[in-house]
Amino acid sequence: MSDRILEIKNLSVAFHGSTVVREVDFHIDRGETLALVGESGSGKSVTALSIPQLLPYPQASHPSGSILLDGIEMISASKATLLKMRGNRVSMIFQEPMTSLNPLHTIERQVGEVLFVHQRLGGNAVRKRTLELLEMVGLQRASERLTAFPHELSGGQRQRVMIAMALANEPDLLIADEPTTALDVIIQAQILTLLKDLQSRMNMALLLITHDLVMVRRIADRVCVMNQGCIVETAITKTLFSAPTHVYTRTLLNAQPKGNPVRIKGDSKPLMQADKVSVYFQLGSGFLARKRVLKAVDEVSMTIQTGQTVGVVGESGSGKTTLGMALLRLIRSKGKIVFDGVDIQGLNNKSLKPYRHDMQIVFQDPYGALSPRRSVRQIIEQGLRVHEPHLGDDELATRVDGALEDVGLDSTDKDRYPHEFSGGQRQRIAIARAIILRPRFIVLDEPTSALDMSVQAQVVDLLRDLQARYQLSYLFISHDLKVVRALADELVVMKDGIIIEQGRASDIFERPATEYTRALIAAAFDLEVVNKTSANDGKN
Amino acid sequence: MTLTPLTRRRLANFRANKRGYWSLKIFLVLLVLSLFAEFIANDKPLLLSFKGELYIPVLVSYPETTFGGVLYSEADYSEPAVRELIESERGWMLWPPIPFSYYTIDRYTGEPAPAAPSSRHWLGTDDVARDVLARIIYGFRLSVLFGIALTLFSSLIGVTVGAVQGFFGGWVDLIGQRLVEIWAGMPVLFLLIILASLAQPNVFTLLGLLLLFSWMSLVGVVRAEFLRTRNFEYVLASRALGVSSFDIIRQDVLPNAMVATLTFLPFILTGSITTLTSLDFLGFGLPAGSPSLGELLAQGKANLHAPWLGLSGFFALLIMLTLLIFIGEAVRDAFDSRRSVTSMDAF
Repeated sequence: MSDRILEIKNLSVAFHGSTVVREVDFHIDRGETLALVGESGSGKSVTALSIPQLLPYPQASHPSGSILLDGIEMISASKATLLKMRGNRVSMIFQEPMTSLNPLHTIERQVGEVLFVHQRLGGNAVRKRTLELLEMVGLQRASERLTAFPHELSGGQRQRVMIAMALANEPDLLIADEPTTALDVIIQAQILTLLKDLQSRMNMALLLITHDLVMVRRIADRVCVMNQGCIVETAITKTLFSAPTHVYTRTLLNAQPKGNPVRIKGDSKPLMQADKVSVYFQLGSGFLARKRVLKAVDEVSMTIQTGQTVGVVGESGSGKTTLGMALLRLIRSKGKIVFDGVDIQGLNNKSLKPYRHDMQIVFQDPYGALSPRRSVRQIIEQGLRVHEPHLGDDELATRVDGALEDVGLDSTDKDRYPHEFSGGQRQRIAIARAIILRPRFIVLDEPTSALDMSVQAQVVDLLRDLQARYQLSYLFISHDLKVVRALADELVVMKDGIIIEQGRASDIFERPATEYTRALIAAAFDLEVVNKTSANDGKN
Repeated sequence: MTLTPLTRRRLANFRANKRGYWSLKIFLVLLVLSLFAEFIANDKPLLLSFKGELYIPVLVSYPETTFGGVLYSEADYSEPAVRELIESERGWMLWPPIPFSYYTIDRYTGEPAPAAPSSRHWLGTDDVARDVLARIIYGFRLSVLFGIALTLFSSLIGVTVGAVQGFFGGWVDLIGQRLVEIWAGMPVLFLLIILASLAQPNVFTLLGLLLLFSWMSLVGVVRAEFLRTRNFEYVLASRALGVSSFDIIRQDVLPNAMVATLTFLPFILTGSITTLTSLDFLGFGLPAGSPSLGELLAQGKANLHAPWLGLSGFFALLIMLTLLIFIGEAVRDAFDSRRSVTSMDAF
């Protein structure tokens, strides 16, 4: 057995004749971590999937190159060879742990299947080994959870099960395709530590595909930077971060959200005030079912000044989005919501309509937030048609052009459809839809988290710019503290529906008062600290 | 109107299904031909010349006296006496390819009805000496038009009910669903037979009766689509803009549900036609004398010694329903987003 576990030479991948990966070369040694970094569409996932030959052939093809996995050529290998290699010598972890596990089978069965298929173990042996694996990946109370179904586990736990499945046969190479992107920041750190730890214990090679540079810096030995299907730079991690040679690498490294929040004027008035706002969801509804109540938002009070950005942070399920929806009266809530001096909580739809003009929302997913069947012009002018029906077609067109210019898009694009735009452009369209009415208050619900790093920075700049120009107030919901620091003047930290910390953003970043906030900050800016806190977190 | 890329892709997908595309072409040709049935099978000449003047009997009704006869009623051009009158003045008549309408009783076949196929009656005559081919042409038209009308109205009601249930959800949905379930549990055929026997239905009352029970087929599909779409972020965004529920349904949600609806339409059409035919076959359908394929089948069953009746009816239905099913399959493929591998983005 040689040390070189994977050797890729001159590899190209084409779909329907158009090449998406061009002449890529890299190699991984046993016990080494190689990170494949790039923005979405750069071809990193396609490259990774071609190693176990999991691309949709024959639509995909390899015009050139070779993939040597421990000396065995994978391209044009026989089906039997491939089956023997997959899951055994090379295995994969995917981004979305919910869809990667079969919802109808227990954990035991899913992990056991891998063992059964490749090692032909008997019933008892499979069970013993499964338990061993689950304990190895740090799944708490593993023996009780053998019979659990995927939906009974949290995202982090599911990802641990995925890792257990991937490691079941002690592969030589583990491919992790954005293994933590779908997880909360604190869990992300735990999973990374686990991967690193397992890797050194089993002496396997790890190919990590990611766009998260913090993660790369922490665990990768070497980095390949991909851009538009080519590897533009390969370097030792330390060298890459200290002295990047390629222009693209430098832009990628500089693409962190920067800048400081817009200062509010001294005499600004409170625009939106929430007083003990609560949103309860009833679980188990029906005649006979025991009624349980989920307190998604529990007696939250906050004030947003004119021209100010209040950041709301917390992990998923903490009630951030629900709070934003409640303030806009998009879901039913209790408590007082005062907008510009008027309590809008009791208003019916009709009397609420003038206030809809002043309050808008931008969503996280730029793909789901735009109706796929309407042109950009129709999407953007919708609000004007509702609130300013007296406008003629010419005026509508001028206003739409103006809004598109405001968000940095070309006004000639307005007759195209959303699917023709990239994620960042779509988010700009969504922002244009929100600002065309000149609202005073906008809820930004994770507007950057579905975007690439460099695009994130641009959108943050755009939002700050618009805020200064039109005196907008933002409620900025995010789990990413890097972005929040660049925009938010005040900060609200939420956990399980309640506010656990509230105050000036700069104060909280410097002196976080609670353990939870400390962990969030640590996860966003520095992984080392998280390892300590994650141990605590694992206990509860 | 400009086509969106999506529409263009669907049209291309439809055309790619050769069988469905050709079925549509053939069906449209048959439909257009049958819409002009009066010019193809009629007992009145298309054009008539009498004493140097031109008459159009197919469109205008002329009394027999126009041509020197004695009756004030409309001339019966197939009668030898009338022919003689016209031809005696060096007149001529241009007949349609089939000189019988669906109600024309041919008294000059020379054999007892039902008469076997001959050069005079290509598919023979039925048991009251009416031309079978003429009845099939008119019957095809009536079946298809009836089916289309029934499909349109039941889709309209079905989509509306499904939209209201799906969009508003909650109690509206709960109560609506239970009502639909109860209504769908009724023994439809028996009810139709009872209702039809209370009063002899005409085309419109029959349409109304069938409509009572046919609107439910789309409710489930549209409701499901609405339940899915109403929580999408773009619907929320529209609500945040203050757009009214009606406009949200119309602009944001309905277009999604239309895909499922359009996919179902051809199959609902076939179902409608089959229902009409089976009622006619049982004798509870259209009033007696109407050109109906079901009635032709019933005659075939009653006159087993005249196989051309049953066979003609059978093949007419077979061809019509097969064409519609093929079209339906092609439509379904066209709207199936998974089939468009060609334009799929590579990851």
